[in-house]
Amino acid sequence: MNATHLTYIDWLIMLVYFAFVLGIGFALKRYMRTSNDFFLAGRSIPAWVCGLAFISANLGAQEVIGMGASGAKYGIVTSHFYWIGAIPAMCFVGIFMMPFYYGSKARSVPEFLRMRFDEKTRAVNAFSFAIMTILSSGISMYAMALLIQTLGLFKGILPDAMIFHVSIVLSALIVLGYIFLGGLTSAIYNEVLQFFLIVAGFLPLVWIGLRNVGGWQGIKQTLPPSFTHSWRGMEHASTNNLGVEWVGLTMGLGFVLSFGYWCTNFLVVQRAMAADSEESARKVPLIATIPKMFFPFLVILPGLIAVSMGSHMAGASGAAGTPASVAAAASQPATAVTDADRPHGIVPVKTDPITGAPVVDASGQPVYNYDLTVPVMLLRFFPTGILGLGLTALLASFMSGMAGNVTAFNTVWTYDIYQAYINRKGSDAHYLWMGRMATVGGVALSVAAAYAVTSFNNIMDALQLVFALVNAPLFATFLLGMFWKRTTGHGAFCGLTIGTAGAFIHHGLTLPVGDAVGIHGGWIHVVHQYPSDMAQNFWTAIFAFAINFVITVVVSLCTKPRPEPELVGLVYSLTPRPVETHLEWYQKPSTLAVAVLGVAVVLNLIFA
Amino acid sequence: MGLDIRIPLGMIFLIIGGIMAIFGLATHGDAALYARSLDVDINLAWGAIMVFFGAIMLFVGKRKKWQDTAADPRPWEKGDATTKAPH
Repeated sequence: MNATHLTYIDWLIMLVYFAFVLGIGFALKRYMRTSNDFFLAGRSIPAWVCGLAFISANLGAQEVIGMGASGAKYGIVTSHFYWIGAIPAMCFVGIFMMPFYYGSKARSVPEFLRMRFDEKTRAVNAFSFAIMTILSSGISMYAMALLIQTLGLFKGILPDAMIFHVSIVLSALIVLGYIFLGGLTSAIYNEVLQFFLIVAGFLPLVWIGLRNVGGWQGIKQTLPPSFTHSWRGMEHASTNNLGVEWVGLTMGLGFVLSFGYWCTNFLVVQRAMAADSEESARKVPLIATIPKMFFPFLVILPGLIAVSMGSHMAGASGAAGTPASVAAAASQPATAVTDADRPHGIVPVKTDPITGAPVVDASGQPVYNYDLTVPVMLLRFFPTGILGLGLTALLASFMSGMAGNVTAFNTVWTYDIYQAYINRKGSDAHYLWMGRMATVGGVALSVAAAYAVTSFNNIMDALQLVFALVNAPLFATFLLGMFWKRTTGHGAFCGLTIGTAGAFIHHGLTLPVGDAVGIHGGWIHVVHQYPSDMAQNFWTAIFAFAINFVITVVVSLCTKPRPEPELVGLVYSLTPRPVETHLEWYQKPSTLAVAVLGVAVVLNLIFA
Repeated sequence: MGLDIRIPLGMIFLIIGGIMAIFGLATHGDAALYARSLDVDINLAWGAIMVFFGAIMLFVGKRKKWQDTAADPRPWEKGDATTKAPH
């Protein structure tokens, strides 16, 4: 890929962004008087601000780059990660779970687990979460530095060998600067800024891109129907691009993984806990669903546009959507589709970073670098000036991903590890100081993680796998803890640990078709083969959830439950419902949730 | 918390949008530059939209009173003289 040629206007726009990011940190520094200000933003942020931060913290590199890549590779079926894999869970956490998180006055999700269950359950969650946030932040940092290097942004300004290192150090210093100064408030404010910049950077890209390919109708006429319909062929794993059938999709992604992430991950829940009232906290995830629902048009559509350009698939034009073409597409097993068989439009071929030669697979076919879909689109359609805005949007997405993880880490470290196990009797000023030190430590460890990713082959795949396996059973613990008063601390602990072990064992016994034994599974013994990686991931999650659920119930029934008065405010049946009598019907969170779910159903039907 | 987010948000959109719009005006009619964006002066058009959005944000942010100031006691500090912040 040729080096990107930026002019002074592009650099100026990027500099303005970085000046504001750090300026917000400086402006908020004087408000950081207590540890509550630093870690919880003083619980004084309006719902709409927290709502935008709620999705922006999740709008990291994996989303902007990854969803664009997935759109290019699999098509509009990627929208399942939003309309099935996010919206229902976000509604659920707002309506049912937020009253417990916010009302219990817990300062973090692990602390909620201690209040509901016991110390050991909190410890498992706190330590695993702290490690994962650091690794996630490191991966974001690594991905950003790699992208800057690939695009050649600093080419001619810095020696080639230095570009990666300078990118890592600069991003680390900026994130460190604004969180160290303004804590969670600074992160939330910057996430709001980043949200609007990402929208401002990507909206014109989609508009120009659609004009170029003749709009949605043009895409439909160019690409095969499997790229423009999200539910076609979902009755069987072999008849759709994802290689997973509807049960695995709705139960694995739509229930276990999505509820496990949106309802229990402190990274996002922390944003809602910063709201100025319980009513606001309940509205935070619901407000977040509104832009979230339309994000596929911003991040997936560029991928579809990219593969539409210059591609013309047999059977697409004219026959698109006809029963014959669907049947023809359906007769192709998903596992038989290689990159070379897919439309690839302007997606570049992967090249060897040292020799610059195109990378080919075992059959001699070129391997396409789908992760470069969105950057290539920016370079293709944006002239200098707006190109600076587009690159700012891209950098903003990496920054928000990193900062979200670092703020979640400093809180969990200070409250759930340092205060719980190292120094219980420190003053508030001491914990505020520790929070700032944890920010420094968190960023330093993220840099180390970024270099670890650089140094070891496949470590990125391994880390993503571990995240998935550790997260998979989590939701069962929270679901039972909040909605079944009989659940005990021993039950939760056993369920969580055995559920996680079950996830690893399931992974070790299964393998996606076409993959080698090892990191992709089958490392114990292959007893079952899934049609795709995704099917394996979803079913691993379903097994882990089920094991956790059953073990928690069985152990809870064999152990002594806590007295009911201790569980008021922590369990649904023992907690008074939130008072909503002062709200008009249209102001109630449940009304908003029903409306949002209705729109999600309509979107699914439109693109079915 | 003291600072209304709409003010920096409005300012950054005004500045970045302003830079793009001025650059768009200066390069208006440069066919080679805007061939990428299908002959649309995207800098001028999108820059103007960003300036408009930024101006609205700044206007609303300046008019509306942000609910909290640095000197206000935090919700948990209210009614507790021992932990009240010094004014």
